[in-house]
Amino acid sequence: MENRHKRVLLTASLVAALLGAAPVAGQGVPTDVIDPQVERRDIDPAAIDSENIEVGIYAGMLSIQDFNSELVYGLRAAWHISEDIFLEASYGLSEGDLTSFEKLSGGAPLFEDAERDYEFYNLGFGWNALPGEIFLFGGRALKSDLYLFAGAGSTEFLDDRWFTASVGVGYRLLLNDWLAWRIDVRDHLFDRDTFGDSEITNNIELSSGFTVFF
Amino acid sequence: MTCRVQWCGLFGKGCVALCLLTLGLLVQAARAGADDELPASWVVDPYVEMRTQPGRGYPIFYIAERGERIELLRRRTDWIEVRTERGVEGWVHVDEVGRTVDGAGEPLGIRSPGREAFTERRWEFGILVGDYGSTDALTAYGGWHFTRNLSLELAATENFGDASDGRMLTGSVVHQLFPDWRYSPFVTIGGGVRETDPRATLVTVEDRVDNTASVGAGIRVHLYKRLMLRLQYKHYVVMTDRDDDEEVDEWKIGISAFY
Repeated sequence: MENRHKRVLLTASLVAALLGAAPVAGQGVPTDVIDPQVERRDIDPAAIDSENIEVGIYAGMLSIQDFNSELVYGLRAAWHISEDIFLEASYGLSEGDLTSFEKLSGGAPLFEDAERDYEFYNLGFGWNALPGEIFLFGGRALKSDLYLFAGAGSTEFLDDRWFTASVGVGYRLLLNDWLAWRIDVRDHLFDRDTFGDSEITNNIELSSGFTVFF
Repeated sequence: MTCRVQWCGLFGKGCVALCLLTLGLLVQAARAGADDELPASWVVDPYVEMRTQPGRGYPIFYIAERGERIELLRRRTDWIEVRTERGVEGWVHVDEVGRTVDGAGEPLGIRSPGREAFTERRWEFGILVGDYGSTDALTAYGGWHFTRNLSLELAATENFGDASDGRMLTGSVVHQLFPDWRYSPFVTIGGGVRETDPRATLVTVEDRVDNTASVGAGIRVHLYKRLMLRLQYKHYVVMTDRDDDEEVDEWKIGISAFY
């Protein structure tokens, strides 16, 4: 009986010792402490992804004075210098058809087909005059800009080149972080003396396109 | 001439098609880079204001508090899109981000460009219009500053006259005398090539290609942020095959951007 009591007590104390042993044994071993060093990392400001360049394509209609309205398409590239101002270059191609006179007279055409190619570029500045936000899809706000543009360039048409001033207004809607949809109306003005007297011609371009920012 | 027009047209169309293709690739490349580990900083001001879009007129909808870590996603002009620890994304002005600190406790120090950016600019690009020998002229140029005083420039000029048109490519060295001045005068010397294209309606004359030498002076004026006004005079000597070289005066005014 006494032996049995001893055995029970011994077993109980052994179990207690075993159970309690782990934390006791652990005290002698150095435990992991939280490293007090905060993540040390210097930032190179140039590492911040800079997205001030906008490149894209567009297509639309060009109304060539004394000719007709034709498809125009081309490229645009812009550099956003500040939230207000951007520098932009455009290049476009179109083709003039018969003049009204040629259609009515029914005679021989005045120009060869190759001479009717209309090729132009312009360089200029845009001003985001009315920056805004629109709510297109529920609660999501998209950035928009209504901008004015003025520039100068060159037009090659009817086998000649002309100094061309371009003015216009446009609208840019950022569909997400990098894609924008644009609508542009521009008047390309140049002095043309093809029909005798030198006269200012207005060539209005209505176009739409997509650009990406990177 | 007709040939040239056709060639230009073809070249242009090819260009458009090529750009259409590369545009897609470009977007892919730009997106691929976005997954890298983003730079981050810690707010030390009482708070930074986050706007819905990059612009001073857009509403402030959230603030990141002192001690908060912000990830710097992208920069657009003077605005940086940040993401807070709670995942809120908004646009913070670069001057405010410049006062946040990196892991070592150092302020980032970035800020919107001003006069010092004008003095320390490395690159400039601009458009100039004016008069080249009594004809309308247009120039696009780019310049690289390899010291505070000296820069190399490459300019493409097109001029439109009654008797002839022309295109000109000019390389030049530009010396700005006082780089710290807001009104910064410069002198320049250069050389290049000029293609003169007599108007077809007059007489049938071949296009000419001649070498040019030029000397000039001008002034750059810092306007605002990354913009400057540029006024210049250049004197060109076009070395023709004829007995006399052609001497042309050119006056230009334009706007340039720098970084």
